[in-house]
Amino acid sequence: MSLIQTENLTKIYGAGEAAVTALDHVNIAVNEGEFVAVMGPSGCGKSTLLHLIGGLDRPNEGNVRIEGVALAEMDDDALTKLRRQKIGFVFQFFNLIPVLTAVENAALPVTLDGVKPSEAKKRAAEWLTRFGLGDRLAARPDQLSGGQQQRVAVARALVSEPALILADEPTGNLDTRSGDEIASLLRDVTKKYGRTVVMVTHDPRIAAYADRIIFLKDGKVVDETNLERKGAADQIASKMKEIGD
Amino acid sequence: MSVRHAILGLLAQKPRHGYELRAAFEAVVGGEEAWEVKPAQIYTTLERLEEAGLVTCVSDLGEGAEPARRIYALAEPGRQALSEWLAEGVTPTHQRDEFFVKLIVALASGESDPAHLIQTQRGRLYQELHDLTTRREACNPQTEMAQILLLDKAIMHLEADLRWLDIAEQRLEEVRRQPLPEPELRRRGRPPKGDKGSTYPPPVPVNS
Amino acid sequence: MNFQLTLAWRYLTGRVLRTTLTTFAVIFGVLVIFGMNIVLPTMMEGFKANMMAAGGVVDVTVTHVSGGGFPAEVARKLDGIPGLSAYAVSLERTVNLPPDFVDGDPARPDRVSAVNLVGLDPEAARSLQVYLIDEPGRFLQANDTNAAVISESLADAWGVGLGDTISLPSVSGLTDLTIVGILPPRTLPGNEEVLVPLAQSQAMTGQEGQINTIRIALTSVDESARAEATAAIQSALGSGYQVGALDPGSEMFASLKLGQAAFNMFGVLALFMGGFIIFNTFRTVVAERRRDIGMLRALGATRRTITGAILTEGLVQGVFGSLIGIVLGYLFGAFVVRLSAEPMKSFLNINMGSPVVSPALVVTSLLMGVGVTLLSTLLPARSASRVTPMDALRPSLAEVEYKRRAGASFISGVVMIGIALLGLVSGNMGLIALGGLLFLGGLILAAPMLLRPIAWAFGRLLAWFYARQGIADLAQGNLTRQPGRVTVTASATLIGLAIIVALGGMTTSLTGMMDDILHKTLGSDYLFIPPSVAVWNSDLGASPDFAARLGEVEGVEAVASLRFAAGAINGQAVSVLGLDPQTFPQVAGLDFTEGDEAEAYAALASGRNMIVNGAFLATLGVKVGDTVEVTTPEGPRSYTIVAEAVDLLNAKVVTAYISQANLAADFGRTDDVFIMLNLKPGVALEDVEAQIKAIAADYPQFTVMAGKKYIDDMMQYMNAVWAVMFLLLIFLAIPSLIAMMNTLAINVIERTREIGMVRAVGATRKQVRRLVVAEALLLAAVGTAFGILAGLYLGYVIVAGIGVMFPMTYEFPLAGVLAAIAVGLLFGALAAVIPARQAARLQVVEALRYE
Repeated sequence: MSLIQTENLTKIYGAGEAAVTALDHVNIAVNEGEFVAVMGPSGCGKSTLLHLIGGLDRPNEGNVRIEGVALAEMDDDALTKLRRQKIGFVFQFFNLIPVLTAVENAALPVTLDGVKPSEAKKRAAEWLTRFGLGDRLAARPDQLSGGQQQRVAVARALVSEPALILADEPTGNLDTRSGDEIASLLRDVTKKYGRTVVMVTHDPRIAAYADRIIFLKDGKVVDETNLERKGAADQIASKMKEIGD
Repeated sequence: MSVRHAILGLLAQKPRHGYELRAAFEAVVGGEEAWEVKPAQIYTTLERLEEAGLVTCVSDLGEGAEPARRIYALAEPGRQALSEWLAEGVTPTHQRDEFFVKLIVALASGESDPAHLIQTQRGRLYQELHDLTTRREACNPQTEMAQILLLDKAIMHLEADLRWLDIAEQRLEEVRRQPLPEPELRRRGRPPKGDKGSTYPPPVPVNS
Repeated sequence: MNFQLTLAWRYLTGRVLRTTLTTFAVIFGVLVIFGMNIVLPTMMEGFKANMMAAGGVVDVTVTHVSGGGFPAEVARKLDGIPGLSAYAVSLERTVNLPPDFVDGDPARPDRVSAVNLVGLDPEAARSLQVYLIDEPGRFLQANDTNAAVISESLADAWGVGLGDTISLPSVSGLTDLTIVGILPPRTLPGNEEVLVPLAQSQAMTGQEGQINTIRIALTSVDESARAEATAAIQSALGSGYQVGALDPGSEMFASLKLGQAAFNMFGVLALFMGGFIIFNTFRTVVAERRRDIGMLRALGATRRTITGAILTEGLVQGVFGSLIGIVLGYLFGAFVVRLSAEPMKSFLNINMGSPVVSPALVVTSLLMGVGVTLLSTLLPARSASRVTPMDALRPSLAEVEYKRRAGASFISGVVMIGIALLGLVSGNMGLIALGGLLFLGGLILAAPMLLRPIAWAFGRLLAWFYARQGIADLAQGNLTRQPGRVTVTASATLIGLAIIVALGGMTTSLTGMMDDILHKTLGSDYLFIPPSVAVWNSDLGASPDFAARLGEVEGVEAVASLRFAAGAINGQAVSVLGLDPQTFPQVAGLDFTEGDEAEAYAALASGRNMIVNGAFLATLGVKVGDTVEVTTPEGPRSYTIVAEAVDLLNAKVVTAYISQANLAADFGRTDDVFIMLNLKPGVALEDVEAQIKAIAADYPQFTVMAGKKYIDDMMQYMNAVWAVMFLLLIFLAIPSLIAMMNTLAINVIERTREIGMVRAVGATRKQVRRLVVAEALLLAAVGTAFGILAGLYLGYVIVAGIGVMFPMTYEFPLAGVLAAIAVGLLFGALAAVIPARQAARLQVVEALRYE
């Protein structure tokens, strides 16, 4: 069973003549451990798709299933709880709370879930240390570089040990180098830590880090490219084998 | 850019024999896949350079022995030639773009769906990009920065190609509506460089 | 929750200026409430302490409900009541001493400005209390004449010792008393006591045969037995007596309580304004943090968590503000107590102790401060909980629904103002008072729609000053961009300034009326004024003999006097003044509002009839023609109200005027407390002055003054009081200053990027500063305009309200309006100082980068 399954997902903004169809009967599936990039020109509905998957917004039609559970049947509190426990978010504008320190920011989801603050901070600190921020735990967001802030955000997304990470243009506000770092970090999230990542981006370079790219246009899936299976990575793998032999 | 200047440069570092030169060259350009040079090419070039007095053979172990045994060093005229080359800027070479030709041919002949072509090409480019980013990530920035730089260059070119594909996709209808140029007539006799405006988009330099 | 507290604390400390200003709003309100509630109870405590005798084994104290004297025989009724171990009667009066009494120097007030003259039965007194007197001194004996016992501290203050003679004013001139014993120094607050035999004090105060206090010791310590005994005492004496707490001087309490209520109202208003400020701040806070809140929601914070976080922030400010407010309020109260100790002592004979703080007051102040804060945070907190996770990802939304609501509120506001105006026309007092509230509310509701035109009008005015710089336009545009915030700010200013204008209206009208009454009622040539005007109870009068001697002086045409007795009607203390219906109208006068003057005086002379003042009618709910039952020391007596009239001195006290004959018969009082004298035509003041003053020398309790001078003094005094009041009101308008400063600070922070842009395209620092100042002035102008409007209405309401007691006509409060404009603009300019500097100091590049 897929981790994420969308069924005829449709979202329309506005009404009457001003209505804009952001998503038009989208059916996609994402497997566990996959790193999927969603691409497409701006306004193609890629962010909307991510919001619907994350339960941040509700579709006009269709449904999203996370681990087989339909989000449409959940109320606000249940959705809040689902987000808290199953989903981690990474946004373009890092969205760190400016008055909290790095470790406090990263600990937020578990703190909100009622975990003892000291325990929450311990967990957050572990993730931050893994991401090379062990010495910046007490720094406020404005004392961190963009790349560092986004790493805090990724740590925050992971701290509650969710199965799914949703990233909306995670590198949109970063320079190339920091962007590469974050993309590669997200790849590690799937490869090293076995999470599933769905990332929306318009940057080909960043999208190329994913295992699979879904192309959206005018609210519809127009193409899909699987990079991992037939791509050069296979060649690398076989080469490695040769070396090993 | 030529193998010639690379050899001069490598010899300026220290005297080497042919086999060593080839290995060093490959290391600089980033491996066999990137720029393959056959041993024969190295030896021919070395001979020519020696004839021109740019390099000298400093050690000839066996009389008329195998070329691999001969150690070459940079001569003074060679050093001068090297510095002249180094001092010059490099004009990017515009290579012919096969995909562009495919696209135009598909448009003109109607034998294939250009949109589909673009999609296929995009998939290929992404796979390539994925591969390159994976390799780049495998490099150790402490010791392999030269390789990283080279990979970055390739990655950026791929990015440009992908962006261009997006543009091409968007403008496909426009191109279709406009009268297509007679490809053979127009393109013959005029170098692509000077042929501004006759085709859109202009040929893109690709390094692959 | 720990997390919410952390978040609240960090946010609060992150914006120091705003947090300070908002917290200050709470502090201020609590300060006023707390401080004022310290000052007045302290005065009351002091007052009570003066009245209360020291310790002993006294269990129950009996007084007359009027606070006045009663026949000594009444005490006999206590004989035979079971459970009583002993009782003692006394006649205790405060004797005010002129400032030059001891040292003869009027410029340097004496340390002892009043003493309690306590007349007691020595035997009975000793059965209740032990009097420790060092040898060779002794305690009083029943047959002593002109003997007194004083405390060591009083003896030191006066520089006298055992065997020395002291002179005290009495109704029959100065009375000499020989000190026969000295008690240990007095440690309790309150007046020093001069103990004399009962007969002595009766003679000195002109209350022959009267006492005013019975002290009783009970045998049992058991609660129920004591209650039984107390009930038995009450039933033996009847309802005209108060058994238990000593509560003389209720007229004094009443006026202190009135003051306290007024100050509490100011405090509540200040808190109310504070509420506006907090509301504004938190509304901005929520808008500003939309993205943060959305983020928290996306990460799994529930709506309740968000509401909680915002409320916690309010709570933290409320608690801190209230606590600081209480501390500052205490300091403020203590300061006022200290400051007023001297005047209180010399004018009202109250020795103030240390500030009185009741735990209830602390709790109430805390609850009010925190309550108002939480209440004002509630709406913003609720709107914060409605922020969706999607808001974290969208650019912040403009206030879309705002305009729709503005229309509805405008209409309801206009309707409310309409009703208020109708109420004004109706002439019904209740409707008019209600109209005041409606008018204020209506103005606030209608304000958002009126804002744009008003801002535009003032903008034109401002453009005239800042010609050709576009500053006025920009300021006007900036101001009207957030009509909600500006309205709330303007409302705070409105309240502050409305009070100034309203009180201005009242004082203007009152001054006009006072001037009128003064000349009518105190128009005599000479006045003999007791130390404590209007609080007659504490004044020692003079026997009729004094007035008679004055009348004999050549050149004096007529002498009239007022006599005083404390009475009660239905348990309400009434100040009963006795006048001579024949002589009084010749010398002085009352200002009649109802009833014919000549007939009324004639009626007083003919029977138990009384003229009463407006306060009397309003308080007791009776009208002219009614008959009321007055509790007198001799029992209940029925009096008929024949007219309504007022004189200046007694205007605010519930007062009835009866004939001096009736006063003597029913209340047993014949001493004059206030004497007026007219000279024959053509007689110059200088001719008789020496003679009059010589006679008056025996009665140092009176200040002799020419009537004209007295009126001048009174007017001057009144103006001084008004001036102090205006200062106080300006002080109370401070929250509007905070409100404006807060709003401007918010505006500057919110528009940091815009300011950077304006600077980038070429505005100088000076221009940016001017821009903020212009905005501040506009803001102040809007608030001032509303404030003056509301103040005029409220002033009219107040004057109409006072008119019930005092006939007065409304006069346009030009002074109040000018003061309001001055204060409004001054505050506007002041409020701009810090935000303007902040705006001007912004670094262009940083400002542009600001999010």
